[in-house]
Amino acid sequence: MMSLIRTEFTKAAVRMRSIIIAVLLVGLPTLIVIAINARGDRPSRHDGNGDGLFRLASQSGLLVPAAVLSVTSGFLLIIIAGTLAGDSVASDSSWGNLRFLLMRPVPRGRLLAAKAFVAATLIWAATILIAAAGLVAGIAMFGVHAVTVPGIGGLGGGFSLTTGDLLVRVVAGTAYVAFGFTALLALGTLFSTLTDTAASAIGATIGVYIVSEILDSISQLGVARYGFPTHYLGAWETMFTQNTYSRDMIAGVVVQLCYLVVFGTAALLWFKRKDIRS
Amino acid sequence: MTDSVVEVEGLWKTFGSVSAVEDLSFSIERGQVYGLLGPNGAGKTTTLRVLMGLERPTRGSTRLFGTTVTPSSPELFRVGALVEQAAFVPHLSGMRNLRLWWEAAGHHMRDADLDGALAIAGLGDAVNRKVKTYSQGMKQRLGFARLLLGQPELLVLDEPTNGLDPGEIREIRELIGRLTSQGATVLLSSHHLSEVEQVCSHALVMNHGRLITSGTVSELVGTTRSIYVEVNDKQRALAVLSGLAVVARVQVQGDGLVMELVDGQRSDVAAAIVSAGLQLETIMPTQRLEDAFLDLLAAGNAAQPQLHGTSPANSIGAN
Repeated sequence: MMSLIRTEFTKAAVRMRSIIIAVLLVGLPTLIVIAINARGDRPSRHDGNGDGLFRLASQSGLLVPAAVLSVTSGFLLIIIAGTLAGDSVASDSSWGNLRFLLMRPVPRGRLLAAKAFVAATLIWAATILIAAAGLVAGIAMFGVHAVTVPGIGGLGGGFSLTTGDLLVRVVAGTAYVAFGFTALLALGTLFSTLTDTAASAIGATIGVYIVSEILDSISQLGVARYGFPTHYLGAWETMFTQNTYSRDMIAGVVVQLCYLVVFGTAALLWFKRKDIRS
Repeated sequence: MTDSVVEVEGLWKTFGSVSAVEDLSFSIERGQVYGLLGPNGAGKTTTLRVLMGLERPTRGSTRLFGTTVTPSSPELFRVGALVEQAAFVPHLSGMRNLRLWWEAAGHHMRDADLDGALAIAGLGDAVNRKVKTYSQGMKQRLGFARLLLGQPELLVLDEPTNGLDPGEIREIRELIGRLTSQGATVLLSSHHLSEVEQVCSHALVMNHGRLITSGTVSELVGTTRSIYVEVNDKQRALAVLSGLAVVARVQVQGDGLVMELVDGQRSDVAAAIVSAGLQLETIMPTQRLEDAFLDLLAAGNAAQPQLHGTSPANSIGAN
């Protein structure tokens, strides 16, 4: 299995696309840090969690990864993760290489597991890379300091986070964001087995997430929104803005695991029975 | 105990209401070079895909080395296959593609016949270039290198010269010739009849997913009733053969005579010539596999309503 993972990793990672993504993931946090520095800690008219993290970020470089993740996890990282997941099987199909792998023979279940594992690894690597780049750029610009978070609306209830707290929460937040793409990984892998065109699989995967985000913003849908894969994506931000490890984080993990089980199983069953015609 | 390398038995493959393969049966013995002939859409590639575990049969079974084929069957390790055109990971070099493909099954590269495969492919330094810079011919040659890495006992080749220029076609045919001379069992699908005639010992003709006939190439060619003879005295031979009951029509053509047989064998003609004291220098069918193939297809098309749903045992030449 390790040799299969190694070969799949080489195919997925050693390509121009990966270099472009890596440059983007390293370069964007640098731009964000420059923007934070230019803006200072002026309050915003719409002071949501993400915006709050931006205002606080200038206090300490340790908060920059959280600010970077808060603005990229809702779109950029979804596109990257969707690309990696949707491309996993369909890229080999579109090259015509899948049939040669299966005639090698490589067992289908093992191949799908290896491809999903590699996609998951790259999604985690992308999330960690952008957070690490934010950390380095943030420390370089703002240094390492404890942070004082003011109370909301001047009502009191402010709190302080030591550098140790910040570091632990940055690690936890990064892990939560990366794990938050598990449902996307399962959906992308399924779509990737359904089509022989990588672009279709990627488009369908990202499309589902965009639809999920749109529907999640409609409060009239009530509790149904709790089952959307994007609903709990931002739950980790309360670690920095409200000094709590939200229960929503646990709910988010459960939802992601449910998607993994349901759609991962569907992908496996489909791929094992599929006629390979590409 | 059978020495069949490939056994296809009552194979059906349907896609919705369309039948790609209908009740196909044949077997290939060790050492045979077997041609799978048929026009485009005859069901050749579908048959090979089922044989290689890429598609599931709707009905019937396929066996490799006596074991029923399922997706990723271990018996596939003993097969080198080039189904449709060779395809690779385009952004990696030829060499890296070979390594990744081999190692994907958990095997070490030291167990592969890399030097032998590369020598046969003859790509030289180009093997270190990215595959996306290759011509189709180079990809096909790299495809041959890949399938030969494991020194397979059976080669399954699907239209291996499709899309190649004449020089590349010649190279690939010479390559197949070298492999068959080394004793490999080969199943070669093609609609290039000259290719099958040059390379194969046996052939099976398919059309509309059905078996039309099978046998040795010489048997298929020999189904023709038109033969050509050369003798030491053409005029005397013309007189002798004109009087033979098994000869419907005979005429001088070039250095010899061409005749249509009614119901007889070539041996009847040869016997008559020798009995008349003539010296028989050449006797051969006038048509090539291409003529026989077209005749068989025409006959198959004419008989199609009757053939529909019949068992292979009722088909001409089925094994």
